[in-house]
Amino acid sequence: MSLKPKEMNFSDTWGDLQKTVHGVITLSNIPRYVWQDRFADVYQLCVAYPESLADKLYIETKNFLDNHVKGLLEHLSTLSHDNIIYNYYECWRRYNKGIIYLHELYSYLNNQHIRKNKLSEAELIYGNHPIDDLEQMEIGELGLEIWKKNMIEPLQGSLVSAILECINQDRNNNGHLINAEVVRGVIESFVAVNKFKKRNNIELYRTLLEKPLVAASGEYFRSQADIWFQNCTITQYMERVIKLFEEESVRCQRFLHSSSHAIMKQCCEKYMVEDYLCALYNEAKSIISQERQQDMANMYILLRSVSKNLIPYMTEFKDHIIEEGLQRLNEIKGDNMCMSFVEIIMSIYRKYKEMIEKIFQSDKNFTSALDKACISIVNYSPDNKSYKSSELLAKYCDQLLKKSSKGLSEMEVDEKLTDAIIIFKYLDDKDMFQKFYSRMLAKRLIHQNSQSMDAEESMIDKLKTACGYEFTNKLHRMFTDMKISEDLTEKFNSQYLPDKRVVLSLNFHVHILQAGSWPLGQTNITSFTIPQEFTQSMQAFEKFYNCQYNGRRLTWMYHLSQGELKLCYLNKVHLITMQTFQMAILLLFENTLTMTCSEIVNTLQLNWDQFLKNCVTLVECKILLANTKELENDTVLSLNEKYYNKRTRLRITASLQKETPMETTQTITSVEEDRKLFIQATIVRIMKSRKLLKHNALIQEILSQCITFNPSISMIKKCIETLIEKQYMERARNSRDEYSYIA
Amino acid sequence: MKVKIKSWVGVATWRWVANDDTCGICRLAFENCCPDCKLPGDDCPLVWGQCSHCYHMHCIMKWLNSQQVRQLCPMCRQEWKFKE
Ligand SMILES: [Zn+2]
Ligand SMILES: [Zn+2]
Ligand SMILES: [Zn+2]
Repeated sequence: MSLKPKEMNFSDTWGDLQKTVHGVITLSNIPRYVWQDRFADVYQLCVAYPESLADKLYIETKNFLDNHVKGLLEHLSTLSHDNIIYNYYECWRRYNKGIIYLHELYSYLNNQHIRKNKLSEAELIYGNHPIDDLEQMEIGELGLEIWKKNMIEPLQGSLVSAILECINQDRNNNGHLINAEVVRGVIESFVAVNKFKKRNNIELYRTLLEKPLVAASGEYFRSQADIWFQNCTITQYMERVIKLFEEESVRCQRFLHSSSHAIMKQCCEKYMVEDYLCALYNEAKSIISQERQQDMANMYILLRSVSKNLIPYMTEFKDHIIEEGLQRLNEIKGDNMCMSFVEIIMSIYRKYKEMIEKIFQSDKNFTSALDKACISIVNYSPDNKSYKSSELLAKYCDQLLKKSSKGLSEMEVDEKLTDAIIIFKYLDDKDMFQKFYSRMLAKRLIHQNSQSMDAEESMIDKLKTACGYEFTNKLHRMFTDMKISEDLTEKFNSQYLPDKRVVLSLNFHVHILQAGSWPLGQTNITSFTIPQEFTQSMQAFEKFYNCQYNGRRLTWMYHLSQGELKLCYLNKVHLITMQTFQMAILLLFENTLTMTCSEIVNTLQLNWDQFLKNCVTLVECKILLANTKELENDTVLSLNEKYYNKRTRLRITASLQKETPMETTQTITSVEEDRKLFIQATIVRIMKSRKLLKHNALIQEILSQCITFNPSISMIKKCIETLIEKQYMERARNSRDEYSYIA
Repeated sequence: MKVKIKSWVGVATWRWVANDDTCGICRLAFENCCPDCKLPGDDCPLVWGQCSHCYHMHCIMKWLNSQQVRQLCPMCRQEWKFKE
């Protein structure tokens, strides 16, 4: 075959070509050499000399296909109308295949003639060229276009109603439609005929099929929902709707173009969920309060696709948790309040966390509902004692970290402390917790009452992770002081004393605390004349300390100091750990058998309260005998010569080291004072940078900077008043709700 | 002897001893730290000059660094020398 252009006789060539075209489009067997000759004919016609016959060829081919499809339509109309979609599908299947072959036979025309003449895509989109009906298409596209005009357009009414009928049958037969493949094929033809289109290629499918299908389905869903709702319990209704959702989703996959899946789903939801929202919400309360888990899960499935639909359901869930939490908290009785408090909250937290994983598929919205519920429960204060939770949580930690925490393993203690952190995160008054915690920590450290330093430090690290370095740096500081004190004691005893050739009468240890870092309080401060038995060691240490540090002054905290006293006047020697004041009291009996309370108080210069607390313990544990029931000024005290304890070493300090109600009050007051100072400093900082600020904007900024507590608006207002009085700021002249900074 | 002290764990707090209550440079109490620090105590120590004036160490260092010609005590204008 020669590629050289030559003169062509069109009608002869087309005559041959036409026969082959017919063969191809009807899927007849075309011998290879015939195919190759006709392929060459197309080429030769396109490049014919003296002028190309391509346009002529195009027009003839178009006419041929036009007539061919008209013929097919005529043929179809002679067949039974009942089988229309089957007959259409058969025709389409063959024609569609034939057109693909024909497209190939006309490759040269497609590639060299038509593509060249075609407007570029950019021209189509941005240019103002009117889309010309006469514009030539590649043969494949032409064939499909003709099919669309000559076949789909005339038949569309009957085709679509037949498809809808089939889908209806499928619904009634539980998805066992016999000719599913045919229905799918017909529907696909609506998309396929536009496959060459650059844009809107599913438009035909949309208008022809999707719209009527959605309308018909909507009607079906509406009436189903109506029937079910009338005749079923809510449990059954939800089960059926979910089953229908699943079936419809499968149906969509089987029959429809993927673009329709979401639309059909919305359609289902509109008629079966949206229209019944009120009814569903009405049931939500009892479903949740009875914790009917299957119903809860089903209702979640029905509501989840529209997140605003979930809100009332989540609120119901949240309120249920709060109700259960508060009810259980109100039932707490007994001594071990703090343990019960944490255990109840953790059991609720765990129960609902698990429920969210199992029933609500770990939905974040529900997790945050649980968080909100926990915040309400944890910070609930029935009698305006908002500090209560902070105190209970700190006490819980104290019990776990103290010596003798009931034989828990290190792992168990750590797990329980991790629980405390979960609750801590929900706490509004984190600063209050910090104060209580640091006071209890101080006592554990000073009274050497910690179970393990590792556990202490790991807890502080946990708090640091939860609330930042600022929050824990005072706690860290306390640890540093303890370490420094240990080194000082060591250096004093093993270097300084031997160097100076001093031998102390007692075994001496110190805790040197940096005044600002320790929450020591003022309640227990008393005058005290320290017995001379102590003074030698103290003076030696002070000398040593002044050599170590310049410009520092030590103040002894006798009420925090304790020691071990050896009782030698009994049949058996006892070594008893007690407070310094108690040691001092017992030392007075060295040269006398009896003393009155007022004599002791006068000698030691102790205030009465401190004396009473310490002396009562000595009487209660029967080291001292008193001649009256209550200790009065003239009560006579004497050493109990018959004192006996089966243990040789014991401590009687525990009750004295407990947090007193007075200390609690003091803690609360000092937190409130800190809060005021913090808010005032924050206001000054904000006003200094903003100069002029509206009241509400100022409040918002303050709230956003208070991380460890939620200040009340009235407290903020008071702080603003204070600062106005102190002339840090003033009300702006022209505006009632604005402040300006006074430099 | 009827009773004898075996051992004693003394607890004491320490504070700075200074002639004034407040730092002459930053005007903050020695109980507290200088404006650049967060915690009083070892991290923000006090220092004394031979003139016996006392400042936060951080405050006097800043002051001395800002002096071009001679380094004077900001209170008494004598030449600043650290007390040994
Ligand atoms: Zn300063
Ligand atoms: Zn500093
Ligand atoms: Zn000076």
